[in-house]
Amino acid sequence: MKSHLRWLALILLVVLPAVWGCAGASAIIPAISIAATGATKAAKASREINDSEEYYVGRAVAARILSQYPLSQNAKVTEYVNEVGQTVARKSARPNTFKGYHFAVLDTTELNAFACPGGTIFITRGLVETCANEDELAAVLAHECSHVANKDGINSISKARWTEVFTAMGAEAARQYGGVAGNLVTLFEGSIDDVFKTMVVNGYSRTAEEAADAGAVTTLTAAGYDPGALAAMLKKMLAKEKGAAGGIYKTHPPTGERLAKLKAEVGKEAAASPAEAKRTKRFEKSAKS
Amino acid sequence: MRRPVFSKRSGICFLTLALLALLLLPGIARGETMKVTQSNQSLYPDPDFAGTPIAPVPVGAEVTVQQQSGDWYKVEYQGKSGWLNRQAFPSPATGSKFSLPGMLFGAPVKETSSDEAALAGKGFTPEVESSYRQKHPEAKFAEVDKVEAYRVDPAKLQAFITEGGLKP
Repeated sequence: MKSHLRWLALILLVVLPAVWGCAGASAIIPAISIAATGATKAAKASREINDSEEYYVGRAVAARILSQYPLSQNAKVTEYVNEVGQTVARKSARPNTFKGYHFAVLDTTELNAFACPGGTIFITRGLVETCANEDELAAVLAHECSHVANKDGINSISKARWTEVFTAMGAEAARQYGGVAGNLVTLFEGSIDDVFKTMVVNGYSRTAEEAADAGAVTTLTAAGYDPGALAAMLKKMLAKEKGAAGGIYKTHPPTGERLAKLKAEVGKEAAASPAEAKRTKRFEKSAKS
Repeated sequence: MRRPVFSKRSGICFLTLALLALLLLPGIARGETMKVTQSNQSLYPDPDFAGTPIAPVPVGAEVTVQQQSGDWYKVEYQGKSGWLNRQAFPSPATGSKFSLPGMLFGAPVKETSSDEAALAGKGFTPEVESSYRQKHPEAKFAEVDKVEAYRVDPAKLQAFITEGGLKP
């Protein structure tokens, strides 16, 4: 027993200082492992952009949009849009994002809505006022939630750029403590440009729009809203299209094909229920103020 | 002859126990109770945000850590076991720098701006955003913070849903 204790003490006396000695060099251990991980990642060439990265891209896109449009200071409308938005977001195909969904009104008469990657959704005051009732507002917001769920914004980052991000991750990791990851910042900048260009300038593809319409119909049904409200909204936009060029007509073109597809999906228009009348009443009270 | 107060044997025992204590004390994360400090957190079936959350975990909830894997902690909360991302917790207190489990299996949670190697391995991070903000002072991040800070009270939302004849 006595000799066992001696041996144990001896082993510990030898092993511990050796391990402790490594503590001095502990910075090297994570650096090596990170460098190795980075290299492995770079070698893998690509992985999906994760939810946290999507969130940071979304924040920067939102910050850029807000440098062009002011936020509405109307607390009543903001609260109402958030209530309708959260009601549909929780029934969307992606009810949880990295930091949740957030809704805000842009103070402009322009008609448009934007879904930033990660779940920040903007709708213009002009578009809110174009809606005839809560169900139509819910339809617009559900459509935008579908863009978030389908990751249409984040998927606008070019594949080549994302591969470059990956290579940068490996290079930066290997460089170890070498100042701010400058190359990553440049790539982040480029990614914001990619997403912003698609969302605000060029608009999504017709396929992405139709998929977002289909998602919105499912979401509206799941939330208890009239799924026909999206077609009604689209019809209204089509009627207004003559002479209109920018805004939503550029980013979410309300084509006849979209409307036809929607009508086929939803089928017969449902008669307005007493609950719908109640919703319309609160819409008029909150959104038209 | 009088025996010395500290015999050779008791000295070895003391030394052994002291060394064992040094080895085991710092950095034990398993079984530790941690408090959630960030809102919008959920338990996930796997250490991946892509999964469907098992249950929400509110701010102030105390969870028991069972396991750690990278940025994720396997925790138990109200009888449910699942994964919580490290963003749910505050940054660790900067106390003892030495942690054997941390050294052998990786530090539990680390969020230091100086750890460039770690941030570079993570892609787009708050630090990358911070550098972007410096380059683009025109971008309205403060306004984005305002939008993100806006919360709909869950009870109020439920009342809104019920009042509108919508599905809960």
